[in-house]
Amino acid sequence: MTTTAKTPDRIDAILRACRLMLRMNKARPDARKSEVLYYEMLIDYCTQLATARQQGRFIAAHTVFFPSEILYAMDIVPMHTETTSWMTALFLGEYADLLAAGAEQGLSSEICSPHRGLAGALTIGALPRPDVVLWSNMVCDNTAKCGELLMRITASPGFFLDRPFQRSEAEVQYFVEELRDMIAFLELQSGLKMDWDKLSETVRHMDEQIELFRDINRLRQAVPSPFHPLGFLELVTVDYLFPGRPKATEYLRTLRDELAAAVAEHRGAVPEERYRLMTLFMPPMYLIGFLEKLSREYGAVSVTEPFFCNWGEGRLDRKKPLESIAQKSYMLPESHMFGPMSDKAISEIVDSARRYQVDGAIYYADVGCRHTCATIKLFRDALSDLDVPVLTVDCDVVDPTVTSEGEMREKLERFFELLEDRR
Amino acid sequence: MGDDGILSSAVVLSCDSAESSAKAALEQALAMAGQDGDIYIVSTGAGGKAISFSRQQKAVTTCLARGVHYLLPEARTVVDMGAESITVVRINDRGRVSDYGNQDKCAAGTGIFLQQMAKLLRLSMEEMATVSSKAKARAEITGTCAVFAESEVISHIHRDPPTPIEDIVAGIYSSMVHRIMAQLQRVGMKKEVAVTGGVAANSGLVSMLAEQVGHSLLIPPTPELAGAIGAALIAKENMMQGAS
Repeated sequence: MTTTAKTPDRIDAILRACRLMLRMNKARPDARKSEVLYYEMLIDYCTQLATARQQGRFIAAHTVFFPSEILYAMDIVPMHTETTSWMTALFLGEYADLLAAGAEQGLSSEICSPHRGLAGALTIGALPRPDVVLWSNMVCDNTAKCGELLMRITASPGFFLDRPFQRSEAEVQYFVEELRDMIAFLELQSGLKMDWDKLSETVRHMDEQIELFRDINRLRQAVPSPFHPLGFLELVTVDYLFPGRPKATEYLRTLRDELAAAVAEHRGAVPEERYRLMTLFMPPMYLIGFLEKLSREYGAVSVTEPFFCNWGEGRLDRKKPLESIAQKSYMLPESHMFGPMSDKAISEIVDSARRYQVDGAIYYADVGCRHTCATIKLFRDALSDLDVPVLTVDCDVVDPTVTSEGEMREKLERFFELLEDRR
Repeated sequence: MGDDGILSSAVVLSCDSAESSAKAALEQALAMAGQDGDIYIVSTGAGGKAISFSRQQKAVTTCLARGVHYLLPEARTVVDMGAESITVVRINDRGRVSDYGNQDKCAAGTGIFLQQMAKLLRLSMEEMATVSSKAKARAEITGTCAVFAESEVISHIHRDPPTPIEDIVAGIYSSMVHRIMAQLQRVGMKKEVAVTGGVAANSGLVSMLAEQVGHSLLIPPTPELAGAIGAALIAKENMMQGAS
């Protein structure tokens, strides 16, 4: 295990990149207010992480979909493992050394790259050493095993949150008990106490945020789409990093109002919207700048992403915070459609394709993500019945050795040509 | 491509840059047609973007759809077996692409792969086709990696007793067909199925593919030109519409 006394350089570098983005946004006369809020939140998140050690604060590394509302309510500094990995690729474009360090831990190239890179980052001390590792089975088996490795690398204690796949009253109750056990574990490890009023307030915010996500998704059904081509990445980041945070509510409210104004004025996010796209899963982070540029060049806008920020039915109740957090875990798009995989995912995709009037879908088939890649044929067939063509791009979310920019350009241009030719 | 159809065509080996190969093919085709250089050119395929004298570049899928629709209007699925990739295109009744898929990450199953195997077995393409018809079994050869496949063929040649050469050829074809079928199933197959690309001239492979598909396959007279004919049709359309 390697740890450093100084601020780990990757978080510092991400922080510098976010500050630069914020300055650039503020300098632009047409900048969205929501975008400024977004970068301010990222800066706050990274600053907190970068200074936690010096301030003697307790850091909890947690995997995707872990209910970080609990961490915020306990004043614990969260470190979202997958998103930190993505941000490293997105803002810094430097990932090879982290993947190489992950390989030295015995992680082969077929394993989910954010987890490989994360293991590498913690091995070489490129990210802060967490005080505890928290992980769950809410997404995939890889995530379920990732926590054990992170515990070993960082020599930190950990807690595995076991969330039943099925949703019945007894199973929700079981999960609530798991959450209680985890809170007890965190209290013991950190010496911090759960602030139940703060948790209740966090749940209230989360409930409002889910409603705002729904409003935003409804507004994105408008033609032309009011949200920028890859705007969903902002939404995903807010969802993953800032659940129940007051500033996230402010961001979503501001964005909702901006989109409503654009829809009222019939103002699209790109000068000429030509192709309305459905995005299935995550595009390569290291190509986001390029993809945004290409999308604008071709007037291609991602209008719906059924697996992100697409909440299932239900509301949260601040008076029952743990039950609400348990319920929220079943409302996650990945959970209510994937766990276990059901026809619901297919009907949701078909329904989204109709509601959002999509011309085509792009399936980013992350080579390390076996549970999503298992759905390629199912989703493709379902969309094909609606005469919606699907481009499947073999890629990796952070590892640039799988797909180059040139290859991606070639495939996307060919796909846009197909969409054009079908008119 | 003129008002009455195809005036001339030329195929050259692209051993130099795409630009100079295209120029050589163009000069030959123009000479055969007795035309001058004032023509509308649409380029396509590998290196298509590098052709500075083309007025427009089009994806190979678009061109295949147009070309096959012109040559075989009843075709709804095209399997293009080219030198470097396998492309499956589903087309509609207007000759437009409905869906497509291609594998271009590995040479396994492509024309280059077949050429390598022929070299290894010291057979010509024609001899391979003839030999395969005599096979009594199909040697097991992986369809997922060209390098592994080559090692396996060598192992079949050197085992004691050696695997009969006709069975090795049948095994090579079978591994290619397996790969093509995976693409066909991914994109979805609709009757009639046309086969294009240089590899379509290999009768042994095509008959094994037909067996797997479950019905006969359509092959245009010059399967290697299907994409180029599509590009020429698009050029003609553009000229008629007055596009620059």
